[in-house]
Parts: sequence; structure tokens; C-alpha cells
Amino acid sequence: MADNVAIPEGREVTYLERIGAHSHIRGLGLDDSLEPRQASQGMVGQQQARRAAGVVLEMIKDGKIAGRAMLLAGQPGTGKTAIAMGMSRALGQDTPFTNMSATEIYSLEMSKTEALTQAIRKSIGVRIKEETEIIEGEVVEILVDNPTTGSGQKVGKLTLKTTEMETVYDLGQKMIDSIMREKIQSGDVITIDKATGKVSRLGRSFARARDYDATGAQTRFVQCPEGELQKRKEVVHTVTLHEIDVINSRTQGFLALFSGDTGEIKSEVRDQINSKVAEWREEGKAEIAPGVLFVDEAHMLDIECFSFLNRALEHEMSPVIIMATNRGITRIRGTNYKSPHGIPIDLLDRMIIIKTTPYDEKELKQILKIRSEEEDVDISEDALKVLTRIATETSLRYAIQLITTAGVIAKRRKSQEVSIEDVKKVYALFLDEHRSSQYLKEYQNEFMFNEIGQGDASTVRTTTETSAPAAAAMDVS
Amino acid sequence: MDTTKIVTCLADLEEAAEDILTDRQTIIDLDRTRNGNREALRHLQKQGDKKSWIVMGNTFFKLETESVEDILKKDQERLDKEINDLRDNLKKKMDKIKDLEGKPALKGFNLKPLNRDEMSAIYRTMGK
Repeated sequence: MADNVAIPEGREVTYLERIGAHSHIRGLGLDDSLEPRQASQGMVGQQQARRAAGVVLEMIKDGKIAGRAMLLAGQPGTGKTAIAMGMSRALGQDTPFTNMSATEIYSLEMSKTEALTQAIRKSIGVRIKEETEIIEGEVVEILVDNPTTGSGQKVGKLTLKTTEMETVYDLGQKMIDSIMREKIQSGDVITIDKATGKVSRLGRSFARARDYDATGAQTRFVQCPEGELQKRKEVVHTVTLHEIDVINSRTQGFLALFSGDTGEIKSEVRDQINSKVAEWREEGKAEIAPGVLFVDEAHMLDIECFSFLNRALEHEMSPVIIMATNRGITRIRGTNYKSPHGIPIDLLDRMIIIKTTPYDEKELKQILKIRSEEEDVDISEDALKVLTRIATETSLRYAIQLITTAGVIAKRRKSQEVSIEDVKKVYALFLDEHRSSQYLKEYQNEFMFNEIGQGDASTVRTTTETSAPAAAAMDVS
Repeated sequence: MDTTKIVTCLADLEEAAEDILTDRQTIIDLDRTRNGNREALRHLQKQGDKKSWIVMGNTFFKLETESVEDILKKDQERLDKEINDLRDNLKKKMDKIKDLEGKPALKGFNLKPLNRDEMSAIYRTMGK
């Protein structure tokens, strides 16, 4: 099926990837009947939310819930982002997935609605097909007759073969020129585009690998092609609407390509592209592949964004929008009204809400184990128990922080494995949120500008954060 | 699941796969004939004799070169059409196999192809 199968684009860029907080997640960890396994593909517990996400995922794959929204709600550190990551992994390469934090829209370079529009258009793929007739084969020999008079038409013969057949082509002047230009010689594997006559060299045939003792390092060896000589090659590409926007936004010119900073895109450009894509769809030349837009910390969006999203969801080419928030009933940004999750009721009404619940002790232990494997830290069973204890009493994030730091300590004393002592040491070295605020409360009077924050305990943290710069500014004036 | 059902499933799958392999081989055979015909046509054009030999089955005929060319050209057209039909059908057969295996069908291959200008515009968006 060589001629009917999409050839994956060869992007073999190796780069050093830093370990992210959710790098261990490879999917949602569901079986074929969408039942969540207790621990699979890096996901642990949270079974109800995962089952719900799995159902949504199936609907996304079938293209059924385009233009709708989903909300992941739950306390901090209960795996909302992990579930979103799992969904993106499970969707695969073919479906666009955009991951943004709500705070990204507050940029000085573009308006909030522009940032949102770009994010939305990054999440919509357009599927198109390219079809070419090519002649593909290994060069057996090339014969070129130079005219005896020195000038005039050159004629030549090209013999090509595959594993199945061999044939001779008569060459005209133009083909000879392009073969010369590509420096084709016998033993090369080449393709010739039937429509344009463009010759390209794929590499040298393995059978000819011993022709020369010294070859350039960049010489690529390939197998002699199989099957027929004249093939039909079909490739399906998925590009996002945003990518098309950027190139067609001519006012930006080449700057857009180099800086990566696209700036704002005119609405006329978008309209043109929308109508072109609609035309292609009409002609059966393109398919829309609605993807997923994930907005983390959705409570940071303000009322304008929410009403914009409300409207955008109704558009025919709208992606599935997944939001995550860790807020309860709180003020909607930009208003004085309170609403569940800090999201207006009318938008909430359009969403399906999935809730995540705090992990129990067993699940915490499993997560910590997965994380320590991910971060290449060997940890003893006892130390893991202590860490789990810490995770239940403080927070999961804090315990995960301790894995890496304890790993460093263990390495310093030249031990392969993290022991209880190492964990105790880092626990003493690094304060968790609770102990830190405890400390602040105790020594409040000895800190600077303490008179501002002498309220009740719950406001201590926020006031110390926000008032310090303000007070400093006052001092200068 | 009982054994007979499994066997029928596997048999169906094998049959579908065999069908595809047969088609693939047929395309190769047809392309071989096509290339042979092309070489012959080329040769006839160059030599310029009035009459030429042509072999059909295991019998040789000596015919007017013009009518030999005519026969070959018609044969080429038929081969082109047959190869294209086989290729178009391969997609449906591939979908059938994917269906039997319980895998999702390949997406986008039933689209009409973009023409060259459109494709070069798309290539620019992909940064090539």
C-alpha cells in the first residue's frame, strides 16, 4: 500500500526535554470499554473524572461535540491539568490541541479578543489531500549522446528499475539538464514528478553501497523501490487555520516568519480564509478537523472574554473548549458579581462540568512513585511512606518538590537511593506553605511594614504579597 | 466468543487482505505491460518502417505500422484506466480491512486533491 498511505513527515529533531510537571502522562488510562484502570498511562485514581473525560474524548473523535465546552473543576493539585494533558495525548497527532493559560490573554501586544481568536483558530485543523503521479526507481544506467558537431540537441536514455520491473525512457534536452543538475548517476534512487518533470534524488541504493571506498558522510542509503514504476502518491496534511492566517497576513510580511511574533491579524484576512476553506469544503477538497482548546486557570478570564467565548462557541468552525479552574464561588473578573467557579452562569450553562476530588493516601503514594521514576530518583519504600505522609498533611505538589531535592541530597552523600534521612533533611530545609505562613504569623512584628497586615490570620498571606511593592513605591515618593 | 465465530472473523480478514494483495500485484503487472507498450511505441516512431511485427498471445502478425501504433495506443488508454480504477478501489478495500480490525479508517484520503497552485500555497504555510 506504499502509494496510498500517508508518509509521516520526517522530523527527527532530537532535543533535550526538561521534565515537566505532567511529563509522565501518556493518555487517560482507559480500557476499550472506557472503564478507567486504577493506574495506567501515568494516571492514578480520579476514576470518575477520567471516565467522564473518556466519554467526551470519544465524542470529540467522532466530531460530535464541536462548539461545546467542558469545565474541569476541583481543588488545587487534584489532577485537572493532568486530565487535560491525558486527553491531548489520547487524541493523537491528527487532532489539534492548544494548551494555554488564561493569563496569556493579558498581553500588551494584542487585544484580549485577538489572543482568544488566535487560540481558537490554532485549535481548528483543515485536512487536505495532495496527489501526485511519480515515477520512482533505481537508476540502472544513464546514456547521454553528445552531438558530434558539439552543439545541438542532446539525446539520452535512462534505465530505471524496481524490484519488480525494469524499463528504458528516452530523454529530451530538458530532462537531461535536470538530471545533470541533480548529479544523478547509476545506483541512485530517484523520483520524477510526472506533472512537473522535477527530478529528486532519494539516496543511493543499498545494492551499490560498496561501489566506492570513500563516500560522503551525508550519503543516504535506501532500499531499491518495490512494486510498479509509475506510482500514485497521496499525502494528507492537517494545517491549522491560524497557520494559514499567519502566512496570508501580508502586512506582517517576512517578520511574521522569523520573529514568531505574529501580532494582530486583520479580520478581512480571516474572512477570506474562512470563505476559501468553505469553498474547498463545498468542492470536497477539504475537511474541518475541530480540535481542542484547553484554557487553564479559567477564572483568570474576565467578563469580556467570557461573553466573547459564548459567542465564539456558536460559530460553525468552533473547537471544543476545555477549561480548568480551582476556584469555588468567587467574583467574576471584571464585575462585582459572584458566580460558581468565577464563570458567568450563562456560559456555565453551556458546559459539561467534570469534577475532580482530592486523592486518597494510596493514590498519593502511587503518584509519588510514578513521579520519582519520571525524575530518575530511586527512593526507598520507607522514604516513600514518609513522603506520602507529607503529601497528605501538606500538599501533593510540595511532596513532589521534595522528590527532586531529596534526590540531590542523596547524590551528595553518594547514595543511589533516597532514604528517610534525606527526606527529613529536605523537609527541614524547605518550608511548605503551611509552615511558612505559621512562621510569618509568629514573627510578623519583626518584618517590615508589618502594620498593614495585622489583621486576621486568613488575610496575612495575600496582604504581605501585594502591599510590599505598593509600600515601597510610596517610600520613594 | 465461540471458535467458529473467531474463525469466520479471521477468514474474512484474510480474504480482504488477500484481495488487496492481488490488486497490488495486478497493478504491478499492468504497469509492466504499460511500460513495455511505451517502449514499443517509442521504437515504432523512431524506426519509420512501413510494416511492423506484433505479437499477440503466441502468434506473430505483420501489420501496417500505423495500425500497430493504433492498437498500442488503445491498449495504453485501457491500461491507464484499469490501473486508476484499481487504485481507487484499493481505498475502499483498505477501509474494509480497518473496519474488520476494529480500527478507525484513515482520514482524509477520500478528499479530492488540491491542485498545484493551492498545494504550493499550503506548502508555504507549512514553511517549506
